[in-house]
Order: sequence, then C-alpha cells, then structure tokens
Amino acid sequence: MQTEAKQGWLAARVPGLGCVCGVMREGRAPGAPWLAALPVLLGALLALLLASGAVISVYYNPWHAYASLQGIAREVRGGWVVLGYHQTGASLIFALLYLHLFRLLLVRGYRAPAEFAWMLWVKLLAVLLLTGWLGFVLNGGAGGYASLFGASNAAMGLAGFPGAVAMWFLGAAPGGATLARLLVFHVLLALCAGWVIWMACAAARKARPAPRGRVVPFWPVYASQYFAALAALALVFSVLLGFAPHWGQGAQNTIPAGTMAMPVVSWPWYLTPLAGLAGAFPGVLGHVWAVIVAVALLYALPWLDRSKGAAPGRVYAALTWLLGLDVLALGYVTAFPMGGLLPELLTFWFFFHFLVLTPLVTMMEAA
Amino acid sequence: MAESTAKPGAVPDEAGRRDFLRILAMAGGAVGAASVVWPLIDALNPGAAGEAQARPVITVSDIPENSAKKIYWAGMPVLIRRLTDQQIADAEVVAMTDLPDPAELSARVAPGNGHFVVVVGLNTGIPCELEGNSPSGPHGHYDGWICPCDGSQYDVLGRVRSGPAKRNLPIPRFAFIDDAQIQLG
Repeated sequence: MQTEAKQGWLAARVPGLGCVCGVMREGRAPGAPWLAALPVLLGALLALLLASGAVISVYYNPWHAYASLQGIAREVRGGWVVLGYHQTGASLIFALLYLHLFRLLLVRGYRAPAEFAWMLWVKLLAVLLLTGWLGFVLNGGAGGYASLFGASNAAMGLAGFPGAVAMWFLGAAPGGATLARLLVFHVLLALCAGWVIWMACAAARKARPAPRGRVVPFWPVYASQYFAALAALALVFSVLLGFAPHWGQGAQNTIPAGTMAMPVVSWPWYLTPLAGLAGAFPGVLGHVWAVIVAVALLYALPWLDRSKGAAPGRVYAALTWLLGLDVLALGYVTAFPMGGLLPELLTFWFFFHFLVLTPLVTMMEAA
Repeated sequence: MAESTAKPGAVPDEAGRRDFLRILAMAGGAVGAASVVWPLIDALNPGAAGEAQARPVITVSDIPENSAKKIYWAGMPVLIRRLTDQQIADAEVVAMTDLPDPAELSARVAPGNGHFVVVVGLNTGIPCELEGNSPSGPHGHYDGWICPCDGSQYDVLGRVRSGPAKRNLPIPRFAFIDDAQIQLG
C-alpha cells in the first residue's frame, strides 16, 4: 500500500493517528533553530522516565521505601542503571523544560495564536513540579520525609474543604499508607504529563504560520535534525549518568527517613526556585498561594503582554534575561541559604516582572 | 528513500555516499536505542538471590542407604531417597497389574543415577506430608512412605500401593550436576 493510501485509511478510522502520519509528511520552512527540537527531547525523556519508572515500580515497596530502593540499587540486575535513568532523566527533563519556557519568553512564543500552546507548556511545568515533588518524597530519604512531614502537618491544620482535600491526598501522618497513595499520584501525573506534551505539540503545530517560499519535507530534513538533537542529549545524559548520577539530589535524602533523623528539607535542584518563592511568604496558606499565583501569572502572560503583535524590543529582552538570572539566583539561595532578605528580594522581582514590568515595557515598546 | 532525495542528475558516487551515511546513522541509532533499553529489560530478570532460591543445589552424597532427605522447595517438601541394591532388585519384579498407577522402575529412578528417587513428599489423596524418611520410623508395608492422615502407602519408588490415594508421587524437575549434587528446577 502507498503511504498516502495508508494515511488516508488510518485518518478515516482514527483521526489522531492520521495526524501523526501527517506530521511526518508535511512541508516546513527550512532552517529551524536547534532549540525548536526541545519538545521532542522532552517527549523522549518522558518516555525514558515512564519506562524506567515501570521497572522500578516492580520492586518498589512504599511500606519500606528506602530499603526497597537500596535493594533495587544493590540486588536487582542493573538496578543502579535503571535508578540512574530515572534520576538523571528527572534532572534533564526539568532542565530542558526550564530552557524551553525561557526560550518562549525570549522570542515571545506565548503570544496569539500560540497562547494555548504556551498555557499547555505552563501546565506541563505545574504537572512535572508536582510529579517531581512526589518522586522526591517517594525516595524515603530523610530530606523527602521532612518535606512530607511538613506538608501533612500543615494539611492536618487546615479546616473545612481544603483540609479534607489535603487529608484525602496525603492520608494523615507520613508513612507507608501515605507513600502508597503518593506513588499512584506520581504515576498518574507522569502519564498526564505525556498527554500534556502531546497536546502542547499539537497546539504549537496548529499555531505555526504556513511556510512561505521554499519548503522542505519533514522527513528526512527535520527528522534528521531531531535525531542529531537526540544524540546530543544522549551524550549529556550518559556523562551525567556515568559521572554524577546523584547530582542536585540533596545529601539529606541519602540517609533513611525516621523521626530521629529529621533534618531540614534539602530540595532537589529543580524544586529550589519554587521552594524559595513559596518560602518568602509566611504561613502554610502563604506558601500555597505564592505557588498558585506564580503559576497563574505564567498562564496569564499572553494577556499581560500588551505589545499587540509588535516586534520584540531590547528592553524586554534584557528584562527576560534578568528574570532568568533571578530564578537561578532564587534556586541558589534556597539550596545554599545565606541569610538576609535576598530570597524575599528575588521573589519580589519575580512578581514585579510579570505584574508591572511586562505590561509597562511591552506597551511602551509597541508604541 | 535515497532515490527520492538524491537529485536526478546526481553522480552515482554521491548517492552511494549518502546511502552509506544513512545506513551508518540508522545502525548507530539502533545500537544506541538497544543499549538504552537493554538494562530496562535485564532488570526484570531474577536477581542472584531469587535465582538461587528458584534453582537450589542439594548435596545427595551424604544420604545413607534406605533413607531419604527432605528439603523444602517452592513451599513443597521434596524427598530424595537412596535405594539399596536389594530394593532395586525387588522393585524390578513387581507385576504392573498389582499397581493402582502402573509405572516402570526406569521411569521412577533418577536418570543417570539409578540409586536415587526424587519425589514431591505430599500424599496424592489428602494433601499431607508423608512419613518414612528414616528406616527406623513408620514407613508402611512397602518399605517406602506412609501418609499419617489417610493411611495411603507408597513403595520406595514413590508408587502408590494402597489407600485412598490413586496416583504416584509426582517427580519434580531436577538434574545431577555431578556425582554428589542435584539441582532442582
């Protein structure tokens, strides 16, 4: 059967699958930047995380979380590689997602008609942050336990409907029963992340302007670019896996959880900016609202930007770079606390950037 | 694919180089993908402890004649009996018509070493562990095993001879790895 005939046959029966074949055959404008391959790399990393997570879940026991992970690392054939896949994959998927969001901010890829794709990428960030926190807690290490202890203590203090939801989610005092349900949420959210990536790619494809002038076929021109990007990612991945499998994981998580060993929370690096941002506000509800408002601001960015399609200006670009440095610094001061008002200052700048500077500067530059 | 991407007027040399590069890239990709997936598949094989439990090695050279050794394998009692020459000679002359579940001597003794019988030591009537592993204890009228629950009797080859039980004792999968040891599983 010819490829067109196959595609027609499939599209007539399963619309989604016909769309996959359509992507393979569509023409595109030549010369896309290398960073445009990031969504594909995100999908590949998520596939690796799901596959290695499936193997880990065969041996993982939430009632003896720390001991079962030690058993996987020491007794399961090649178990240390599988754990390394999962840890390195988690680190890299966050690194690439932060990079992708930063690139979209810089090139203003969040504006119409791509605003729905942007919102889906923000949703992916929210889903992955929650999945990452659950994975951090599921380690059964002392650092994760301290975080879970804080969360469930706070949940027990909440009254009314929020308290009921928190209790349903966390299941009272931290222990096997809590980790068992958090494991289910971890898996479900990871599957959701796959769906969000799929949707975001579809939305971004719909928003892409039709190519004018010379057109190159997706296969093999774009496909080979994606393969080369995958090879570069694989190189970075294997260096991290081989030489720094626990990089950025937090030393407190390497000792087992227990009430006699409850140190401060040591976040994995990808949660540090958010933890610093939440920690700048007092009280449990302060933390929760800070996170919700921060994500909501990212969602609302297409409307906070008042440029109405004008070309990006230099001041906005400089401010975006400054925002990137701000988030990095927020993560750094959370990982290595140095006292003072620096975290509060950096958090203030994050909100100031989106609430004041973005509308103001984009309006002035468009005028 | 090479036909469609190569220009119609391209020299054959360039098309050949492109084919070579394509095959090289695909082979490299296949090797890379396989080496990523291999640990994930291999991790689902049993570990060293699980394998040792699933396929235990048992020393049989220390079993005295006319006695049986009992070990537990996968939750089942497995009996390993060493026969005397007299017991083998006696078993050879038993008429098949006398047996509820006829089986030849050669089908009951260990292949490769005719002096050993390896059976699952559970009565085939009411599931009960059999008695008769030492020559001094109770072992029924046929020199073999007896069930303390329903009184079924088995001979030294594990063939049922009387009682409610109707089938011979099952033989587990095993092999001699040398003269002194067998491996189950």
